[in-house]
Amino acid sequence: MSKIEISHLTVDYVEKKKSFTALKDVSFKIEEGEFVSIIGSSGCGKSTLLSILEGINSPTAGEILIDGEPIRGTGTDRGVVFQHYSLFPWMTARKNVAFGIKQVNKEASRSERLKIADEFLEKVGLEQFKNKYPSQLSGGMQQRVAIARALAMDTDILLMDEPFGAIDAKNRTILQELLLELWEGDGTKTRKTVVFVTHDIDEAILLSDRIVMMTANPGQVFREIDVPFERPRNRGQLVQTKEYTNFRNKLLALFYSDIAEKIGGEEVVL
Amino acid sequence: MTVKQRYLRVVHGLFIVFLLIQLIPDKLTTETYAGYAIWFVIGVEVLTLIISALIKKPASLNLFVDIVAFIYGLLIAWTLATAKFSILKPALFPPPGKVFWQAVEDYDKILVNIQSSVGIILQGYLLAIIIAVPLGLFLGWSARLGGAATYISKFLGAIPPIVYIPYGIALLPTFRSVSVFVIFLATFWPVLGGTMSGVMNVEKKTIDSAKVLNVNRFTMLFSIMLPASLQQIFIGCNQGLTVSFVLLTSAEMIGAQSGLGYYIKNYSDFGDYTRTIVGLIVVGIVIVIISFIFNRIQKFLLRWKV
Repeated sequence: MSKIEISHLTVDYVEKKKSFTALKDVSFKIEEGEFVSIIGSSGCGKSTLLSILEGINSPTAGEILIDGEPIRGTGTDRGVVFQHYSLFPWMTARKNVAFGIKQVNKEASRSERLKIADEFLEKVGLEQFKNKYPSQLSGGMQQRVAIARALAMDTDILLMDEPFGAIDAKNRTILQELLLELWEGDGTKTRKTVVFVTHDIDEAILLSDRIVMMTANPGQVFREIDVPFERPRNRGQLVQTKEYTNFRNKLLALFYSDIAEKIGGEEVVL
Repeated sequence: MTVKQRYLRVVHGLFIVFLLIQLIPDKLTTETYAGYAIWFVIGVEVLTLIISALIKKPASLNLFVDIVAFIYGLLIAWTLATAKFSILKPALFPPPGKVFWQAVEDYDKILVNIQSSVGIILQGYLLAIIIAVPLGLFLGWSARLGGAATYISKFLGAIPPIVYIPYGIALLPTFRSVSVFVIFLATFWPVLGGTMSGVMNVEKKTIDSAKVLNVNRFTMLFSIMLPASLQQIFIGCNQGLTVSFVLLTSAEMIGAQSGLGYYIKNYSDFGDYTRTIVGLIVVGIVIVIISFIFNRIQKFLLRWKV
């Protein structure tokens, strides 16, 4: 049994009396401990798909099974990192993390929660900033806190919706490596199942075991591609290999073949 | 700041001017109690010097000394127009010294009246906030999901609280309970409205962030909605506080046997305008202190805002 099973998922939106299909008959599986990236141009429904996984939206047809059980709303088995606004501005970094822990672990005492929070803030390199409010932190630091919270909650599944999309290039690189390091761990514990939405091909290659490429209008799965690189991965070494360049070119070609198809097809109707 | 910037200020010049005009012989024939005014001003000056030494930001110091300078200017003009040249009618405009003397004489009486007024306000006000905030959170949350709560509270909130007074008098046994009731209503509607609109304006992204953490209803309302709408709750609280003071002092002038409004009205009825002025000043000071405390609480609770 797969950890996550997405089957025949269709989502229709009605906006100004016009209905449009965000996702059409999307099906794929994600195994336990797998890191899967969903990439695609904007409007391909990747964020819609994630919002259904999160339990915030519900599909028009089809379903998602987690451990064989259909999703009903949000759940304590999933941790989420959004692109923006994941943190509550009235809580310090530390309180934000502790608040997340409290929601999944009701037994832990206040001091235990704070201790776990400190531990994870240290892992993301923010121990000095734990008593700062989000407004006092940079965008990159805020995402570090959000990641610390999601990891501290220790859920089986981690859902990340373009978490580094609004971060400058240099910090994005640092955060990707941090995530990679934290997720890969030392190999003693089972890795979390991650669903990672992005539009950055390099990010997807570096992080994932498998890439699900989606296409827009309507949102459908275009290709599923296994990423053949060994773990633990090191960006510096990886990008210098010929295999990486070839793989990346192949992905780009696929990515643009899809867009070219669209442009050559229905969209160029003047 | 240099010593010059800190201490070389117009306000200290005004202080000296105030002392110098005391040398002008009094034209007013009745007792002017000039000593009380002089001691008051010396006290203020000492305090000003101490605070000047402590303030760090130049802007705050400017603001502070300007206020003190205004008080000195007022006292100088007041002294000249009354005690020194007797331009104003002595019965209506007592010299400043006499007002300070009267305030000292009536010290305990004033304190009792402050206690009575502030006690009523706090009781009605706090009760209203304790009930209106949770109710507003709940109704706002339901209204987000679609409900009539908004319209009902808008209608009830539109009724000026003062019109409840006659009904309150019929309903409740004492002046005090009627006052508490009216202040309760005066605060209740703006706070309820502020809380509801605060909750309804919370960004969907904030709610989604909370939802994916699996918060229960109680946590959603009190740990997420409450802080997220705090700014608008404070707008309601502020409005309630202002209206409460207006209502209470007016009510005290009409029907009470105690309170600051009563103090003013009672003595002006007897033509004792010295005490009337004392009452006015005390009301001003009390409101300034309460607003100051209120602002401090607001600033503290919203310290996370940029």
